[in-house]
Amino acid sequence: MADVIKIMLAGEGGQGVQSVAEILAEAADNEGKEALYIPNFGVEQRGGVSIAFLQISSERIGAPKFNTADIVVALSDRAIYRTKQYVGEKTVFVYDSGIDIPQEDLPKEAAKLLAIPALEIAKNELHPRVFNVIIMGAVVKATGVVTDKDAKNAIEKKLGYKFEQNPKLRELNYKAIERGMELV
Amino acid sequence: MPDKLITEEKRVFMTGNEVVAWAAMAAGAEIMYGYPITPQNEIMHYWTRLAPKYNRRFLQTEDELSAGFTTLGGVMAGRKAFTATAGPGNTLMQEPLSMAEAMRLPTVTIIQQRGGPSTATVIYSQQEVTMTTFGGNGEGLRIVYSTANHQELFDYTIKAFNVAWKYRFPTFILGDGYQAKMRESLTIYDPEQRGIEFVPAEPFVGKPGTPGVDREPGHYRNTYNVEEELYDVLQEFFADYEKMVPEVVEYHSFDTEDADVVVLSHGVVSRGAKEAVEILRKEGKKVGYFRPITLRPLPEKELKELATKAKKLLVVESAQGQFGKLIKNAIYGGTAEFLTLYKPGVGITTEEIISRVEEIL
Repeated sequence: MADVIKIMLAGEGGQGVQSVAEILAEAADNEGKEALYIPNFGVEQRGGVSIAFLQISSERIGAPKFNTADIVVALSDRAIYRTKQYVGEKTVFVYDSGIDIPQEDLPKEAAKLLAIPALEIAKNELHPRVFNVIIMGAVVKATGVVTDKDAKNAIEKKLGYKFEQNPKLRELNYKAIERGMELV
Repeated sequence: MPDKLITEEKRVFMTGNEVVAWAAMAAGAEIMYGYPITPQNEIMHYWTRLAPKYNRRFLQTEDELSAGFTTLGGVMAGRKAFTATAGPGNTLMQEPLSMAEAMRLPTVTIIQQRGGPSTATVIYSQQEVTMTTFGGNGEGLRIVYSTANHQELFDYTIKAFNVAWKYRFPTFILGDGYQAKMRESLTIYDPEQRGIEFVPAEPFVGKPGTPGVDREPGHYRNTYNVEEELYDVLQEFFADYEKMVPEVVEYHSFDTEDADVVVLSHGVVSRGAKEAVEILRKEGKKVGYFRPITLRPLPEKELKELATKAKKLLVVESAQGQFGKLIKNAIYGGTAEFLTLYKPGVGITTEEIISRVEEIL
């Protein structure tokens, strides 16, 4: 079997986890890798936990969903409860350190629990709008599925039209991705 | 106005719904009739974005009954017409599509299965198998391709138009909400550059000349007065269908020769089944893989053979035995034990298939 990296991103509707998954999938595709991204759509789109399943590999990918992720990123307390079932012994579990949740409710079986202050950095250092891009930086660093250059190119592809109007946004997004990488 | 959307082969990364719209363009579809329903909406969205640039048409109707009947009308006028729907929309569409069966109209319908019964979920299932393969009143004289990935969505949507117009049976692409919404890579191409010849469309009505004088009159009927009349017409249909079967039946299988357990699946579930069988084989376990691509007609001969050679058949599907029922019917008299992994309306992962096979090996 080919090595497949299985990534799960989960957060509240509007936190932008689907955009992150889509940009990462595009970046991997641009590198000539196989990527499969499927949003957990449905009632979640109308306010609830939004989940993205993302797989990246050198070969064609099998089933679109999976039981155990290599990395889970949970961005709200509800997202943590919702994604626990996808955590195994080898899973790196990333969550925002600003989430107020009892320690014993975190998935203990995870290989590594990683709390990152993405929300705080977004709010105090950068801009709340780039919260999800900070998360993307963290995922890029933690998994190495794509290079930061390709991740930036994919952002450019998706948001380029906005950057044209306001070049400062480009700078802000690039800073956010770099800052996210530093957190891991 | 450019007449071709795709002029050269290239790798793209898109959702399944977008793939269908591009494939229909590439296949030379002239008009889409539709009514919105999740998870197929974006087929319409992409089509309506592309159509005006390439001189194609679109009509949004008031419901799926109407979308179905207008598709029939488009076909009768000699246009390569198609529609797309899902779930309760598919239910409504069975009435016009039964008429297409009666009148031998080459409609193309894309189904992106969602959960059922009724409104249920907008997400995913394989619960529209019975309805899509056998449909409304009548005998289910249809062609149904169950696709598993974006490349197949592209390839078989193109093929569907040709098969429909060649054999004149309503033709379906049976996808699902996962295939509709997920993104993965595929290679798109201009079918003609690959040597695929388009079967031309021709009008059923409004032909030149006087019927009965200059040409045979066109009798396109869905109504019969006497039992025997209907019976005779159906005999011709059955004969045409049987003759067509060996030319359209498609399946994919491997490692079935010495298999104790053969995993049977279709559509998106077969991705996990394929991976599961490959992993189990590497561990030295005697497991095989069989996947019908056409659910209607089914590869009955091959299935019957499997059911006498293998010890066990494991049917895996995201429904409570709809695919299983088709298989049972085809393998009647076979000796293999019939086992199942049914998860109606829920996705099935590679891991789940592996553990079910290990349980029964």
